[in-house]
Amino acid sequence: MKQLTALLWAEIQKEHRHSFHSKMVYFSLLIWPAIMFVTAYYSFAPFRTGADSPLARFLSAEQLPLFLLTGYLGYIFFWCLVQSAWQMSFERQAGTMEMIFISPVNRLAFLYGRSLSSLVEGVWLFFCFTLLALLFVGGMHPSGWWAIPLAFFVLLVSAIVWGGFLSVLFLFSRDASFLYTVLDEPMLIFSGVRLPPLAFPLWAKAISFCFPLTYALQLVRGLLMEGAPLSALAPELALLASVLLLLVLVTVVLLKKAEKHMKETGNMVMY
Amino acid sequence: MFRVAKATFVRNTLVMLRAYPWSFVIGHILSGVYTVLFAYFAYHYVFAGQLDSRFQHLAGTADYLSYAILGGAFYAFAVSTLMNVSRSLITELREGTLEAVLLTPSLRRGYFLGNVAQQVIRTVFEFSIIVLIGALFGLNLVHTHLWSAIAVWILSTGAFFCQALVLGSLMLRFRDTYITQNTLFVIMAFVSGVTFPTPYLPEWLQPLGAIMPLSPALDAFRQCVIQGKPLVAVAPQLLHMAVLSLAYLVIGMWGMRRMEKRVVESIFA
Amino acid sequence: MLIVENVRKVYRVKEKGSWLRQQWKEVEAVSDVSFRMVPGKIIGLLGINGAGKTTTIKMCSTLLSPTSGTITVDGYDAVKEDRFVKAKVNMIAGGERMLYWRLTGRENLHYFGSLYGLHGGALRSRIDSLLLQVGLLDAADTPVERYSKGMKQRLQIARGLINDPSYLFLDEPTLGLDAPIARQLRKHVKELAVAHGKAILLTSHYIHEVEELCDEVYIIDKGKLVAHDTPAQLTQSLNLETALHVVIPALSASLDLDLQKLAVRYGGSREIAETDEHTWEVTLRGQTDMTTPLLSLLAAHQSPVLRLHTQQPSLEDVILHMADRRGA
Repeated sequence: MKQLTALLWAEIQKEHRHSFHSKMVYFSLLIWPAIMFVTAYYSFAPFRTGADSPLARFLSAEQLPLFLLTGYLGYIFFWCLVQSAWQMSFERQAGTMEMIFISPVNRLAFLYGRSLSSLVEGVWLFFCFTLLALLFVGGMHPSGWWAIPLAFFVLLVSAIVWGGFLSVLFLFSRDASFLYTVLDEPMLIFSGVRLPPLAFPLWAKAISFCFPLTYALQLVRGLLMEGAPLSALAPELALLASVLLLLVLVTVVLLKKAEKHMKETGNMVMY
Repeated sequence: MFRVAKATFVRNTLVMLRAYPWSFVIGHILSGVYTVLFAYFAYHYVFAGQLDSRFQHLAGTADYLSYAILGGAFYAFAVSTLMNVSRSLITELREGTLEAVLLTPSLRRGYFLGNVAQQVIRTVFEFSIIVLIGALFGLNLVHTHLWSAIAVWILSTGAFFCQALVLGSLMLRFRDTYITQNTLFVIMAFVSGVTFPTPYLPEWLQPLGAIMPLSPALDAFRQCVIQGKPLVAVAPQLLHMAVLSLAYLVIGMWGMRRMEKRVVESIFA
Repeated sequence: MLIVENVRKVYRVKEKGSWLRQQWKEVEAVSDVSFRMVPGKIIGLLGINGAGKTTTIKMCSTLLSPTSGTITVDGYDAVKEDRFVKAKVNMIAGGERMLYWRLTGRENLHYFGSLYGLHGGALRSRIDSLLLQVGLLDAADTPVERYSKGMKQRLQIARGLINDPSYLFLDEPTLGLDAPIARQLRKHVKELAVAHGKAILLTSHYIHEVEELCDEVYIIDKGKLVAHDTPAQLTQSLNLETALHVVIPALSASLDLDLQKLAVRYGGSREIAETDEHTWEVTLRGQTDMTTPLLSLLAAHQSPVLRLHTQQPSLEDVILHMADRRGA
């Protein structure tokens, strides 16, 4: 266990120094999301958003800014923790991945340690968000003092598991950028970052259920905007937990398969 | 020189096809498709087609879907062009051949043109696919004044080229491509009327949109496609673009020349 | 002890086909290799490019699994019990990859050390001692991107020793290094075996390096071991030619004729060349040493000897000999 924590800590330190250097953090985690958020907000301007508008079926007009803010928070949180997954394909080319596979390190611990290593940046982001929400955007009705840490925890765990899954996919793929487009951008539409998924037709809802972000956002909004009690959120929490468990299983299977392939063909690229 | 341009064009296409036979192009197209999907979902499922009362007046049309889809596709074209051209220019600068490319007719220029042409063709292809898919989701092309639209497209490419000169020199100044270009793109998406008419923005922000070539370009393109206006009708927007292009050209050339000295000395990160 | 027994490795390689219908070709990289690594000894693995050296090393270091045959390390199977094997081995390759260039030397070692389960004070002190060993203590806190090639290579060595492996694989470790650093490295490698009792397998294109360091040499050709002996025995056993070079001030017709006869008598050949200083260089090649008869001949003709040296066949000649045979 001690070794595991030491490994986690080593990954965090390495990723922080190697991939995220200070300028990048300010832009990618603060400035760009802030601009994207206001863009999304104004993108609704062409529509009617009054009390009797179609939007009111899902949320009130004054909740719209916070809805978008939570949506973007969740998305960028995921994106932030997924950046390190992206790094995997670079590391494969740089040769450092071989040095990792030659070691006896627990593969899963290494994978999730990698995702977790953006923890520092994630905390910074969440802090900025909470501040913004309190200062500029109204509509925040937390379920209790515990709602904020719980919301953070939900986002964190979902993003780490998603990041681990993507890490395996990217590591063994010949073209990670394509995968990124196929998996990352739809998340913006289908996970309810900008539009309430409840409004979607069945087929779109089905797609949204494939992303852990969908469940995470539902929970986060329930905790921070609707002031929902824990009992009301319990079924959603359970649903998220089972989705994450499934993802972990898939990750484990893929990882084993990929390493076996690597040992047989000498090639880290599986597809 | 044209032989060189053609040879470079062919080589780049082959390299691109062999490296990523289909994923490359599909990736770009998918990005545009998501924009289409978003507009469609918002319009039909969330807002049930009900628009704000001022929209028609500000946008010049009540056809939100066409407005938004064209905005997304044209934005993708702008981003793609800016990115490609600024990177090509930086490459030329680093190799010390920028003068040869921009000023003197030379083989080097042919090489550069071949590169740019290949990228433009790719962008045109991606744009066309996005527009076709957009047509399936509500983009109305019936009134399109085709030749005006094409003319606007060509002039926009020129405007973006000039802007790319400034973008390139900024990238060199900050010794970074990723942060610089993404910041510009994110700002452009906000102030240039991509997903909503700029008058919706607070007044103090609107001048920022006015200095982006994308704003008048998109406005003119939309008028030609959605409202079917001829080229003369969008003369004010074209003039706006021309003024901006000239300004960017002058600043850009000056900037690139200054950065030339810097690049020679330091390592480009 | 590390035992490699009848190991074979076959790759399935995609031949150029369309996306829909793919054709596969089987490439046998290693067809039958057996050897043992013993603590304190350095083994050399030689062969021309594509012979199967790197594949063999990767199988021993658990990166690749053999198609057939076994590899056991201190009793553990390298495929089925690879976790135990990974803890005991490590690999050092030449070149500049396999390091995080934005991290300092120390940070790199810290990271890789933690992959082996090392942490805290134990890891820190090992890092310090390794940095001292490779002479990077002063540059320990500089980012690797600012290291010279030699420094990067030394850091690679430190990284390869981070888990104190009993078995070390060196894949062309001095590639691209200049002479003084390469020499220092070789000294270090020798120390690792002799003083620290590690078992080392070394591949190299620098034949003199193998001759200097290795107790035993295996020569691999087209995936098969074709020779195994000490460096000296190997060159001798192949009966390659020795070249005898002598420089004389003048060459008369009669001396030339006698030299020819001498060469023929010993079943060899003779070459003559006029040098820039208006002297003559005579080269006698043959499988027998002709030094004594040559000197007697020159004395008989009263010819002074300006320079004389013998060129013994080297492992390079062995390899070239094999390459020629392969080409033939």
